[in-house]
Amino acid sequence: MAEKDMDIMGDRGLDVGEDVIGDRPRRYQRRRPRQVVPEYVDWKDIDYLRQFVPERGKIMPRRISGISAKDQRRIAQAIKRARSMALLPFVAD
Amino acid sequence: MANRTYEVMYIVDPDTDDEKIGKLNDAVGKLVTKQGGSVVRMDDIGRKRMAYQIQKKQEGYYVLFEIEGSGQEIAELERRMRVNDMIIRYITVRVDEERKAAEKRKAKREARASKRTKFRSAPAEAPAEA
Repeated sequence: MAEKDMDIMGDRGLDVGEDVIGDRPRRYQRRRPRQVVPEYVDWKDIDYLRQFVPERGKIMPRRISGISAKDQRRIAQAIKRARSMALLPFVAD
Repeated sequence: MANRTYEVMYIVDPDTDDEKIGKLNDAVGKLVTKQGGSVVRMDDIGRKRMAYQIQKKQEGYYVLFEIEGSGQEIAELERRMRVNDMIIRYITVRVDEERKAAEKRKAKREARASKRTKFRSAPAEAPAEA
């Protein structure tokens, strides 16, 4: 098990690096290691959803969150529901 | 009609007194049973700071209901909530289908996990399944 975890970490660890495209270095944040999304995403569970909502209040893109498209849709749906009940902000500044 | 499960959450104006809020909640429960539904769970969450202002208010009194029924009582409840000016926001979410999907996903995950432990031929590490 430990070996496998290491493998995943090495492949898509969370690190900020610099990628040079053309002459301008571009900062990028690599994917988080793949994470397990619970079977039922509760839209009332703010503490869980918070991890996909950075300070600005936007929903973290899949490119950064690193979760599957299916899970991302479920998370996004839950965040939107929470937003409409003022449990999460639409924008925070 | 097949039974459905809903979660209904609403925010009551925080300036109304608790007695009135209690009455309102009772009325909601009564309405649901009268329309043929049943209240599975009622959660009085209470005053909470909202993530943004609604009607110039920073706080809200949150109440959550879990209702089982055909959907008719939800229609009536929503109609009432819309015209009630104590209720500043509400949401209804149908949860039975999502829960069923979650069960399925769970079963699938467990099946895969048990397969994996079998394959590893390390039964000492495998959790004993009673």
